Parts: sequence; structure tokens; C-alpha cells
Amino acid sequence: MGNARLVVSAALFLAVVLFGLAGRWAYPVDPVSRVGGKLQTPSWEHPLGTDVQGRDVLAQLIHGTGTSLSIGITASVIAVAIAIVVGVISGYRGGLMDDSLMASANVVLAFPVILLLLVVAVFVPVRSPMVVALLIGFTSWPGLARAIRSQIMSLKEREFVFLSRMTGCGGVRIAFVDLLPNMMTYVFTSSVVIMSAAMLAEAGLSMIGVGVTKGTSLGTMLFWAQLSDAVRRGLFWWFIPPGGVLTVACASLLLLATALDQFFNPRLKER
Amino acid sequence: MNALLVAEDVKAYYSSSKGLVRAVDGVSVDIDPGDVLGVAGESGCGKSTLSNVLMMNIRPPLSFLGGKVLLDGKQDLAAMGREKVKAQVWGRVITLVPQSALNALVPTRKVGAFIKDVLRYHLKLNAREAWALAEKRFQELGLPVEALTKYPHQLSGGMRQRVVISVVTLLNPKLLIVDEPTSALDVSTQKQVLKMLLHLGAKHIVRAIVFIAHDIAILRQIATRIAIMYAGKVVEVGPMERVFQGPLHPYAYSLIHSVLTPEPEVRERGLSYIAGEPPDLVHPPEGCRFHPRCPRSLPICSREEPPLIGLGEDRFVACHLALGRH
Amino acid sequence: MLKVSDLTEVYTAGFLQRGSVVAVDEANFAVQEGETVSLVGESGSGKTTTAHIILRLLPPTSGKVVFEGRDIWAFKTRKELKGYWHKVHGIFQDPYAAFNPIYKADRILYQVFNLMDRGVRNRRRLVREALEAVKLRPEEVLGRYSHQLSGGQRQRMMVARCYLLKPQLIVADEPVSMVDASGRAGILKLFLELRDLYGTAVVFITHDLGLAYYMSHRILVMHKGRIVEEGAPEKILGDPQHSYTRKLIADIPLIGRKWEDI
Repeated sequence: MGNARLVVSAALFLAVVLFGLAGRWAYPVDPVSRVGGKLQTPSWEHPLGTDVQGRDVLAQLIHGTGTSLSIGITASVIAVAIAIVVGVISGYRGGLMDDSLMASANVVLAFPVILLLLVVAVFVPVRSPMVVALLIGFTSWPGLARAIRSQIMSLKEREFVFLSRMTGCGGVRIAFVDLLPNMMTYVFTSSVVIMSAAMLAEAGLSMIGVGVTKGTSLGTMLFWAQLSDAVRRGLFWWFIPPGGVLTVACASLLLLATALDQFFNPRLKER
Repeated sequence: MNALLVAEDVKAYYSSSKGLVRAVDGVSVDIDPGDVLGVAGESGCGKSTLSNVLMMNIRPPLSFLGGKVLLDGKQDLAAMGREKVKAQVWGRVITLVPQSALNALVPTRKVGAFIKDVLRYHLKLNAREAWALAEKRFQELGLPVEALTKYPHQLSGGMRQRVVISVVTLLNPKLLIVDEPTSALDVSTQKQVLKMLLHLGAKHIVRAIVFIAHDIAILRQIATRIAIMYAGKVVEVGPMERVFQGPLHPYAYSLIHSVLTPEPEVRERGLSYIAGEPPDLVHPPEGCRFHPRCPRSLPICSREEPPLIGLGEDRFVACHLALGRH
Repeated sequence: MLKVSDLTEVYTAGFLQRGSVVAVDEANFAVQEGETVSLVGESGSGKTTTAHIILRLLPPTSGKVVFEGRDIWAFKTRKELKGYWHKVHGIFQDPYAAFNPIYKADRILYQVFNLMDRGVRNRRRLVREALEAVKLRPEEVLGRYSHQLSGGQRQRMMVARCYLLKPQLIVADEPVSMVDASGRAGILKLFLELRDLYGTAVVFITHDLGLAYYMSHRILVMHKGRIVEEGAPEKILGDPQHSYTRKLIADIPLIGRKWEDI
């Protein structure tokens, strides 16, 4: 049964990825130029209609999905990398290093991100997807870092660590060769969750205008749709698809995370 | 004399991903009033499973596959099923202190409050009467009455264990089953707990005790009879002194002679050792389950399983060699 | 050979050092070459902490550990450390926690070549010989993961590690407490063989006075961080001086003699 969940969620997510990355070959329409009349309802020529500036919505959706996915992955990679470095050093070293690293994690966690983003929005008015990915990545690491740290702290008192130390292995080697691999399944599952959160974050930020400003993402689509009062005006072909794809992407990722959890911990399967 | 509890050929298996684990595979044992029956054996022999089977505490993945558990020679607990046994027998007639029961006390309630509730519910007493009974019971068992006003975490491990034992015996059950009650305790605390268990018998708060342990030296001190289990079966039962002086089953012999106590005899004699590992209980060996490791196995041992046969004077053994069967 | 002087270990908890626990309190003892010494105590007595300090895993708050005339906590170079661990090594009690689950079990054997000269050839042959010395069949354990091996097999592999290293001193922390009674004698025999063949000294850390009595030349009784009594096994058992020792002996369940006060 767990395998079914794994297969289904992975397949769903792969479908989204395929759509976002390969869709532009199947449907080579430029998302940013005017290709038709304004606010046209879906038709054979424009399967998802056009937006307020006559741009093809399906093309935007395809490119937007690709952008949002790449932001999600990039942010996740950044966050996980920081979390690993901070978590391992903090957990293994302990002492003052641990206290200061955890204090900084708390700062990042508690800091009002919106404020930070507004400040960034003022100084960096043109924000590419990469900038947004960096921002999200640099603010998403504390949770995983704490989890890694506590795992390291408990593992480092295990006898196999003593045995490794007694063969002359230094701290860094022990942390990355002996300890970290024991957590990779957890880290991997967490990175899936972080990616989902990053995609949602990007959509939310771009929708209110503090996220991506250069390029098309699912969030920017929602931004323009919202700006044109799409919901009240019933322009369903414009505001439903980006939300829909986002929902499918994030839901499949989270489902994948639980399936991975079960896969790595067979004990969770036994009832 | 009517036996208190008689288990006849009980079988209980676990279902696991590897197949059916024959944890208790045809065990017959009886417990008389006044007995302290020690059940000894090493990891995987089925003694803990047996403790659950004796009171029909059987839930998936464990299933009961056959046999009878006769209480007072009359009721078959196996036929009654878990729910009925739980309602009518647990706590009142038979009670169990499982492993790690140290942590069974609710951490957010004071010990006395908890005991009071148990007494009020079961004996329909009012608050004052219940408290008085709790105090009296603690005094009887040599426990400090102040402990009633403490939270579990404020008590030491040994004290907690004794409190748990006193709680499960509040209703004066006939049979008390304890599973490794002292493995986590230091030597002196262990002796206090053992002392308390014997007091329960001496004061007739319980009529019989089944004591499950892997440490045979403890059993030597407090048990009146001893049953030795191996790979889901009982291989020898008998009065403790006699089995110790002259164990008949080769496994029992090895087990008794591998006990490591600080005594000159042990050092002179040397420790007994059995090579190999206990068998896989999903596919146990043909014939006698111990024969692959037995230093004295005969040809018949690999073909036929030896039945548990009485030799008189309350001694039973399941061994072709001991029974003189070729 | 090994001398422990005024060893003290104080654990402090909390940033402002609000609570402190004296785990080891000015312990003094020595171990001669080829000697088997047991450090006996209940949990919380400080015996494991002492073992970790001797094994250079935990720095002492104060006091010295001197091995072959050198203060082990004054070592600076990796070479000195490796040299120490080649001569003084540890065996631990939990055959499950001693193996890193994501690597193959034989890693704990191959790891020790780190402590030897780079040019050690025939590593596989040496590993096989060590496994045979502990009565394990190489085919049964090589290439397996630790969860595929039994507790007894795992504990033997830990001892095999010492056959590879041939240290002068082994600190064994409860080496048989998690092994079934019938398997204990086999493991203990391996320690005796190490002693007879290579003159290895052993410090047993244990709560089991029976084990100490069976295996040691000398027993040290630890209580609340202090060494309260020291002597030959017969003397400790026959004529205990300290009240803690007396109580300990009185409360141990024996086979040959029944308690009278129970």
C-alpha cells in the first residue's frame, strides 16, 4: 500500500515537472508577447484563453510552472546546504559555537520575513527568480538545522562514534562520514517538504508583489490576475490554472514526503 | 490440592514479515498456591510471551492457536477470550507486571491519588476509606507512606517498581506474574523488590507468583519451582533445589552452569558455554529444538521431538537422553 | 604501565553552571602490564566516565592519566594520538550501538588499519585471521551489515578488532552484559586468550562482581565517583572493608548460599 502512494505521488509530481520543462516544446507560444485579443475565453487557438494584455495563459502557465519549480528546487538546495553545515557543526561542536549558531537560527526564524522582503523590494526593484530563490532559501533553513543538530547530538554519544574516534578520525570526518549519512533519508524527505513550502512561498510573495518581478512564475500570474480583479470578474481561465498547478505540485510533493518516510522507515507501515 | 492455574499445551504465534514465529509452541505448566514459579530462559525463548498468554493478554500480531488455560480447575480462560478475561480476571484474580513497568505510572498524578481512584472504583469505597486502605497496604509492604504524596518522577527506580507492584496487587489477586522486575535496578534495590514480592506471598496478599527472569541466581534465591524454556518450549520443570542440584536436560545443565556469581565454585568449575545461536522460531529444527547445539544429542533427537514427561516428585523433563529413550 | 592520579570529572549543566555532578572524584589507581583489573560499580558510580577518560574520549576536569610515562592529555599531534590508541583500545557493551548501521559490519575491522603503518599489506588476510581467532567464520560475517548478524557475532567482531591491533591495554566496558548467559563464557574466553597469547592487560568496567571475581587479578570498587576499596578478588569477597562493599556483597544473589534476611 505504501508503494502505491509513492508511485502515485512521484508520477503526479513528474507530470508537473514535465509540463513545466518540456511543455514549451509541445506548445511553443511566447508567454510575454501579445498573441490575441484581450481576456479571451478558452478556445482551440488559446486553450486557456488570454490575459488582460492579450498574452496566452497556457504559455504563461507552462513557463511559470518551470520557473516556480526551479525556484523551489534552488531554494530547497540552498536551505538544505545551510541547514546541514549549521546543524552538523552546531551539534558536533557544542559549546559556544552551538549557542551562537542556534541563536542565529532563532533570529532567522523569528525575523518578520515580510519586513525583510519589503526592504529588499525597495533596494532591488528588479528581482529575478534566482534572487527570490536565494531569499527563500536563506530563510528556510532553521527548522531542518535544529533537527539535524539534535540528531547529531544524540548520535555522537553512540559507541560506533567512539570506535571511529579511536582510529584517529577527526571531528569533521566523523561528522560527515559517520553521522550525516545516517540522516540522509530524513534530510532528503525534509528537502521535499522545503521545496513544497518554497513554491508556496514564492507564489504568495509574487502575488503580493514582493517576489519575482522579472519573469513569469505561477505567483506573478496570480499577481496580474489579482490586479485585474480576475475573481470578481469571473476570469476563471486566468486565476484557476496557476493555483491548480501549484496545488497539484505541492500536494504531490507532500504526499511524496510521507511516502518516502514510510519507505525509509518500514516500521511505520506495521499497524 | 487444586492447582491455581494450569496451562495445557498452549500455542501462541506472532505473525511477522518473515512468517509465523512460534514463540510459545505447546507449553504445559501448572501453578499451585504457595508457588513461586521461576521461568528462566534466554532471549527469544518465549518466556515473556508466555506471561501474556497465561492471562490471555493476546493481541495482534500475537495470536492464540490452541491449548487451554484453566483457572482453579474450572474456567478455561482461552475459551473465554481476551475481552471477558480482561473484564473479569485481570487485576482481581491474575495480574501482570510487564517489563519496563517502571514507566507505567501516570506521570501527572500523584501516586496516592491514582491508588485512591483504583480502590474507589473497584471496591466502592469513599475517598477517606480508600486513602486509609492505601496507607495500610503501603505499611504492610514496608513502603514509606510519604510516597503516596509524591509524583512518580520524584521516586527512585526501585521505589517506583515497588509502587507499581503494590498497585497491581491492591485487589489481592490470586496470581501475580512479574516479568524481569529487577533488570534495570542495582543490586541492593533489587533485593528490596524481591523481599517485597516474598512478603506479598507471606501475607497472603497473593497466593502464587510467576517470576520471569534470565538471571538464574535471582531465581535460586526466591523461587520454589523453576521452569526452563528454550525456543518456545519448556524443557525442564521441577522443585528449585532439585533442578539446581541435578538438572536433567543438557540445556538446563548448561544454563545453570553458566551463571556468573562471585563464588569460588564458579571460578574453579569454569563457566559452561553453548556454541551457536538459538534457532529461528519461524523454521525451528526437526525433532528436539536444542539438538543442533546439544553436546549429548542422540540420533533420535533429530527425528522426534521429546515430549514433556513427568518423572515423579513434580519433576518434568523433555529430553530423550534424560528419559532413557533411544 | 598506566597510572591514574587524582582523576576528577565534574559535569556542569546550564549556561550559568547552575547544577554540577561530580562523576569521578579523585580516583587513583594503576594497571601493570598483563594485569586484569576490574572497576566495579553500579550505574552512576563513575566507572564508565573513568573509562572514557582513559580512552581519551573525554577530557578530565583535573588529574592525570599517564601511560608509559607520558601524560596522555598532553598529546598534540595526530601521530601521538594514533600511537596511543594503537596501544590502548576500547570494547563497548552494546553490540547494536557499536556498529554504524549504514556501513558494512566489517568496517569496524578495516578501520583500525588507520592506526597502523600505511604500508600494511594483506589487509584481507589479516582481517580473516582475526575473525578466525574469535571463532567466527569469515564467510558468515564479511560483507554483511550489522543488522544481519546476531548479538554474539557482533560482540566477537569487536574482540576481533583487538586481535588485529594487539593493544597493550584493553578497556572493556560491560563487554558481556548484553550477551546471553550461555554465550558469555565464549567471549570471556577470548579475553583470557588475548591475555595468554599477547600479554594484553584488561580493565573491565562492570557492575557485575561475579564477572570481576572470575576474570581479574585485582578489583577496584567504585561508589559515587570514588574508589572505596581495592584488592585481590578473594580478599574483597572474603573480607570486605568498606561498608558499601559489604552491602554490595550481601545483596548479590548467589547460587551456593541463600539469603537469610529475605
